[in-house]
Amino acid sequence: MVMARSDMAAGRHYRPAGSATSQLSAWRLSRAIQPYLFVLPFFAVYILFLIYPFFKNIWISTFDWNLLEVAFNPDAREEVGLQNYERVLLGRNLIWSFGHNIELKLVLLAVALAAAWGWFRQWWGSTAAFSTAFLALIIAFALGFHPGEKGRWFDGNFWNAVRNTFVFVGLSVPTITLISLALAVFLNHQSRAMAVLRALFYLPSVLSVTVITLIWTFMFNPLQGLIGNVFRVFDAEPLVWVTNPDLAMPSIVIATVWWVLGFPMIVLLAGLQEIPTERYEAARLDGAGLWSIFLHITLPGLHRPLTFVVLYQVISQFQIFGQAHLLTEGGPGQATNTLVRYLYLTGFRDNELGRAAAMAFLLFCIMAVASFIYLRLSSREER
Amino acid sequence: MFGNVGGNRTFWIVVAILGACAFLWTVPTIFMVSLSLQSDENLIISTANVALGLIPWPFTIENYVRLLSYDDTPRWFFNSIVVACSSTVLVLLLSSAAGFAFARLSFPGRDVLYAFVLAGMMIPAEGVFISLYTMFADWKLHSTYFSLISPNLALPLGTILMTRFFKGIPKELEDAAEVDGASLWTIYSRIMVPMSIPALTTLGIVTFLWTWNSYLWPLVTAQSKEMYTVTVGLASTQQGYVDENFGRIMAQGVIASFPVVVLFLVFQRYLVRGIALQSK
Repeated sequence: MVMARSDMAAGRHYRPAGSATSQLSAWRLSRAIQPYLFVLPFFAVYILFLIYPFFKNIWISTFDWNLLEVAFNPDAREEVGLQNYERVLLGRNLIWSFGHNIELKLVLLAVALAAAWGWFRQWWGSTAAFSTAFLALIIAFALGFHPGEKGRWFDGNFWNAVRNTFVFVGLSVPTITLISLALAVFLNHQSRAMAVLRALFYLPSVLSVTVITLIWTFMFNPLQGLIGNVFRVFDAEPLVWVTNPDLAMPSIVIATVWWVLGFPMIVLLAGLQEIPTERYEAARLDGAGLWSIFLHITLPGLHRPLTFVVLYQVISQFQIFGQAHLLTEGGPGQATNTLVRYLYLTGFRDNELGRAAAMAFLLFCIMAVASFIYLRLSSREER
Repeated sequence: MFGNVGGNRTFWIVVAILGACAFLWTVPTIFMVSLSLQSDENLIISTANVALGLIPWPFTIENYVRLLSYDDTPRWFFNSIVVACSSTVLVLLLSSAAGFAFARLSFPGRDVLYAFVLAGMMIPAEGVFISLYTMFADWKLHSTYFSLISPNLALPLGTILMTRFFKGIPKELEDAAEVDGASLWTIYSRIMVPMSIPALTTLGIVTFLWTWNSYLWPLVTAQSKEMYTVTVGLASTQQGYVDENFGRIMAQGVIASFPVVVLFLVFQRYLVRGIALQSK
């Protein structure tokens, strides 16, 4: 082995001495190009199927672009500038008033204050805290706009879909975070039993959205569903879920929590394993109770994975489509129509690709803040 | 955390409570499997035959037998296999090559290019699927394996994970090979790839699950029934479902989940590690 290596090393040493320096420079040149050859295949598909489409989407959003008409005649599209955005976002006779949506505004104000407090107590980095607070205040301000007398939104359904999406994120993300935190804390133990339990809780996450909506369609079905069967055992009238205006959104949230819980649970379990056991032992020696150990050691130790979990969930739950599309079909009425579903319907049912593209870009903008913080956090360790 | 605090008894109480929760958590899945194993004639009368419907009795596998000949289900299954497998293999090739270059080679523009890859993480699938639709329409390539597979390959996460992994491999072997005058290709294919089998397995599982389960893009691009994937096919039967057929629909759901559940059970460890790696 050693012999072979020194032979070969010697061989390489001889090579340039032989013919000419041109051979060496050719070798150097190919060595300089080679790294690019390694990244080239990835960048080719990356640019063609992600970056270029992203900018093309912005370009499409400036057109009045009917899917069917353009399919037959490419010139049928008409450039309209920012009109699509106007039609989606604005309305006639809009006014701003402080009292409009006051409850939501107060909640957002509380979020902003909590972020500032978190920064003050050094639980949160300045980027995360300030962008959260900033975002909350911006949304709170935007919530003050509403149509005045004789006014109306150009596209009321869009704002309804935005509202539904925020409600869905607001309900599902805290639920997911809390349950997965509780599970992670209790399942954090090296033993067979715990490993099996972890696997059971994770299992739904590998199913596709169409399978989980199929399952929950039948779970919720008042006549043939399992929940209905349970009600009937107690001689109670089975609840109507997905077609009930009050329970449609909660049923989507339940199905989603059940589906996605595994991922954050595993992230938090990995985070728990990185908390040094000495800290627990020291706390126990000081006579700290379980609750106080959780509050003063576990929670601060999980600060990074928890932030990750919340951001990741906000980003992915914001893109909710399948559950709203298949479980409730956006209904009853428009009660569970979400942003991505509305965007999909605008583009592929109403054939208004330009307007759908505008919505897609707006979706990107709303999510950009969360994904930017996410990116900062996940790349920090590499620097 | 609490396991070694309260001693053995507390531990088993916690396990019992969690076990009950885990059972509840599994009930919806059991319900699906159980319904799929009962005949439609029985289910029309009641789904709560034994134990609220959780035990499939009277038992039958006729739903599965019927699926073999019904509709395009076998075809959809085949499509999903083709799409998920080829996407996975190609993602592994592209990401490991790019990850190797980013982690191990220095070349002008490397950091800028890597930041460019990271930035791609901000673009959601919904932000590009409309323009992808118009692109494939222009190329007249909708309803093909190419259209089902290629957008899956633009996966910045794959390159990022592989870059992170390669950065963690000790450099000695590579240096030795370099002294031997090995080409970059040799170093990549003979040293780096074999050493990264665990990471590649992890990325492979994540990619397979993701492509097998993806819904929005196949829904848009698969326009003929023969080119549906199982997710889209299942959604199409689900939306037009009639009460008489739900044993069969449930069997379809079980079939659609079978590969991913098996994969999960076999490669659980790798999947867990992949998740932990993503959150770093």
